[in-house]
Amino acid sequence: MGGFAVALQPFNLLWCLVGVALGTVVGILPGLGPPATIAMLLPLTFLMPPASAMIMLAGIYYGAKYGGSTTSILLNVPGESASVATCFDGYQMARKGRAGPALGIAAIASFIAGTVGVLGLMLVAPPLARMALAFSSPEYFALMSLGLAMVVLLAGRSMVKALLAMLVGLWLAGIGTDLFSQTSRFTFGRMELLSGIDFVVVAIGVFAIGEVLANMQGREAAKALPFPKGVRNLLPTVQDLKDSRFAFANGSIVGFLIGVLPGAGSTIASFISYGLEKAVSRRPEEFGKGVVEGVAAPEGANNAETGGALIPMLTLGIPGSSTTAVLLAALVLWGFKPGPLFIPENPALFWGLVASMYIGNLMLLVLNLPLVPVFAQVLRTPVYILYPIILGIALVGVYSTSGGLFDLWLLVGFGLMGYLMRKLDYPSAPLILGVVLGGAMERALRQSLMMSDGSISILVSRPVSAVMLSLAVLILLIPLFNKVNTWRLRALEK
Amino acid sequence: MRALSADFWSGLALGGLGAYIIVRASSWEYLGPDGPGPGFFPLWYGIAMAALSLGLMFSSLRKQDPDQIDWSGAGRAFATWFALLACVALLNVAGFLLCLAGLTFFIIAVMYRRPLKVAASAAIALAGAFYLIFPFALGVRLP
Amino acid sequence: MGKKLALVAVLALSNTVFAQGFTPTRPVEAVVHTGPGGGSDLLARAVALMIEKEKLLPVRMQVVNKTGGGGAVAAAYLAEKKGETHTIGFFTGVWLTNPLTSQEAKVSLKDLTPVARLVLEPALIAVKADAPYKTLADFVSAAKQKPGELKQSGGSITSRDNVVRQQLQKAGGARWQYISFPGGGERIAALLGGHVNMMVIEPAEAGEHIRAGNMRVLAQVTESRLSAFPNVPTLKEAGFNVTPVPQVRGIVAPPGIPRENVAYWEGVFKRLTQTESWKKFLADNQFEDGYQNAAELTKFYDEFTGQMRGILQEAGIKTVR
Repeated sequence: MGGFAVALQPFNLLWCLVGVALGTVVGILPGLGPPATIAMLLPLTFLMPPASAMIMLAGIYYGAKYGGSTTSILLNVPGESASVATCFDGYQMARKGRAGPALGIAAIASFIAGTVGVLGLMLVAPPLARMALAFSSPEYFALMSLGLAMVVLLAGRSMVKALLAMLVGLWLAGIGTDLFSQTSRFTFGRMELLSGIDFVVVAIGVFAIGEVLANMQGREAAKALPFPKGVRNLLPTVQDLKDSRFAFANGSIVGFLIGVLPGAGSTIASFISYGLEKAVSRRPEEFGKGVVEGVAAPEGANNAETGGALIPMLTLGIPGSSTTAVLLAALVLWGFKPGPLFIPENPALFWGLVASMYIGNLMLLVLNLPLVPVFAQVLRTPVYILYPIILGIALVGVYSTSGGLFDLWLLVGFGLMGYLMRKLDYPSAPLILGVVLGGAMERALRQSLMMSDGSISILVSRPVSAVMLSLAVLILLIPLFNKVNTWRLRALEK
Repeated sequence: MRALSADFWSGLALGGLGAYIIVRASSWEYLGPDGPGPGFFPLWYGIAMAALSLGLMFSSLRKQDPDQIDWSGAGRAFATWFALLACVALLNVAGFLLCLAGLTFFIIAVMYRRPLKVAASAAIALAGAFYLIFPFALGVRLP
Repeated sequence: MGKKLALVAVLALSNTVFAQGFTPTRPVEAVVHTGPGGGSDLLARAVALMIEKEKLLPVRMQVVNKTGGGGAVAAAYLAEKKGETHTIGFFTGVWLTNPLTSQEAKVSLKDLTPVARLVLEPALIAVKADAPYKTLADFVSAAKQKPGELKQSGGSITSRDNVVRQQLQKAGGARWQYISFPGGGERIAALLGGHVNMMVIEPAEAGEHIRAGNMRVLAQVTESRLSAFPNVPTLKEAGFNVTPVPQVRGIVAPPGIPRENVAYWEGVFKRLTQTESWKKFLADNQFEDGYQNAAELTKFYDEFTGQMRGILQEAGIKTVR
């Protein structure tokens, strides 16, 4: 494996370390993401050999996925869009005093899934890329529908409210200029809304700011979360690891496969993985209250996705997400020509990259696990210092992505919305799901109908999309089954 | 007249949104020559929203004892929200660091009733930390 | 007394010297309308790097992202900075077409100070390698026989991809469908996966696929043949009397800046286009040098918007300005 020879050179090891460390930091900060960081570091990369630069930038990419889970678990602030699903159970675990195990499981799941992702990249890249090309709008639509059907599983007590939240999310996703007709929808005459509302603004507003506001209600100036002492409580227990067995596999495979599809990102991967985990779990009613596999699944998914997303980028030169698009641009800037001939013509770079990803994942595991107690210490910060920090970071993070004051106003507005949703018992997960998937789903549907010249049968005549749509329908029917069951049980009792 | 529960009001609000969406969506093309137009999707989810909201309102009226929302702490939450709003409003005037310091001061002093000195020093320290970390070390611009 | 007079004279002279030649004294803001990592952003960063390398500016150039509205926010930002001498913006074709179709995009190039046009982005018409079309005429006549059945993937309907389609449809008397995909990657995937029949693609994107034998190029959307594609006919050579509408990128500045300021920027960018690094940059990215100075750019803008307006209206797209 010549790749390891490249990757294990001390120089490259150093850059790998720099990359993953930087990535972790970037992942922690909400708003600042891998694409921005990589773009800003591009001038620096001209000073080093391309292989090292690539190793470092890739390190930032998957390192960010590790970091994103930290703030999600500790503060209910998604550091990255892919970390939103981690907030659901991760934060609840932290509230129960199990922040340490949550962080630990996130790191372990990320490691396992990240490694699986690299394995996949190494072994099945070209054939999988070909298969991914067969995936087109009808399949995307089916995938998005499957994702949205997950609402049913995330509903909590009131299905009606969950559906309403999802619909509001769909509406928010639709704000902006319609791609196909260039009509402005729901822009209220404001040009800042022409390109729609950035998902990050919604997520941080609803989650982070909403959380801070909700916590303001209590008058105790006590610490935010109980922090049990003792090392035993800081790491996942054996039981935790056993509970997460399926989640590890689930996250790795789902994340990887979805990553391979250009255009489907880590956010949808983490949601589907979470939903799948809940669907097959023996204790689904506990999801959302702090079960460890609810953290392992999405965290694994968003890490495996990085391995998957690199496949279309390296084998076809097609960027699958904004980060891979920047990486692709970096390759071009350095004088490479990404495309179908890239790997055969640059084996040293490719295999060096692959090998470095194994090492990078290992580094991240080693870095993150011991840091768990340190991170958990964050929870000891007095609440009244923590909250201004969160608010400040939220403002800076959002401003860094958009550079405008308008988005900050939106952020404040969504913060209020997040608070009201908590008060009025509307679940926020369906809202986020709607925002993330709404735009893509509508586009996929309209593209599909354009491809089929108006006939809906295209959605069911193609095998893959038919299967996924049937799954979605099945999932939607689950609550109906449950209701029927409860009636029958009640009838039997009488 | 029984007090209307919060569910009723939120249902009403969402129903209003749904109605607005339906109205706007009908002004756009529903079915274009190449496929569904810009009005297609919004119309349907607007209808769904309106229908579900009506359902919510009805069910809330029918419930025997509607869950009452505890509004006691809300005042503090709203006050904090207004402080945040003011912070954003003043960004152009005072700059981020000052606004952040102000917000911090407000939260610590007013919300948590800590001594003013503690609040002031924390506010300054926080603003300083932000300045050091963000523009200085990472090159990220502050609002 | 004589010394004082001399001092005053020197100061007065130096003042006039400074008034005649503008020199930046603090970092220059380069506004782009994409987020970090987007097309314009990367171009601006590359330009900043080259300028630093060739020492064309005595100060740093910093890229500022003002995203939103397809360029509208960035344009509005520049318009607000009236008289600001240390700010410039990188514009693309979207800045020119957006105000035509979008009510909310109120700032057009006319409201700003044009500085220079830098590059022309050529395009190719490509089909999948195993498609039955060997020439552009093949494709168009196939489309003529089955109106509305063949499909093209591309960006939004106001993008160059669709403009080319409108022009070709009119010239060839055919009609085929256009499906918008938000990202270049998705458009290419749609073509390679066989879900659409043809696309308009940039040479930089297509290069590798052509080399690997996955794509075939039918024609190039340029006035004269690109050096990288000597064997591919231009639109006119392929038998379609169509003048390609150029896709451009260039520099603008806020309104109300002094003449010396504009002249200074013009000078910097003119010198940039003459450097070796720039020539290499163009070659690497397969751009065409489209340098025009401020006056030429102004004229180009008028011609371009007139042409676009006509095309959009013929395509049935509503224009608001």
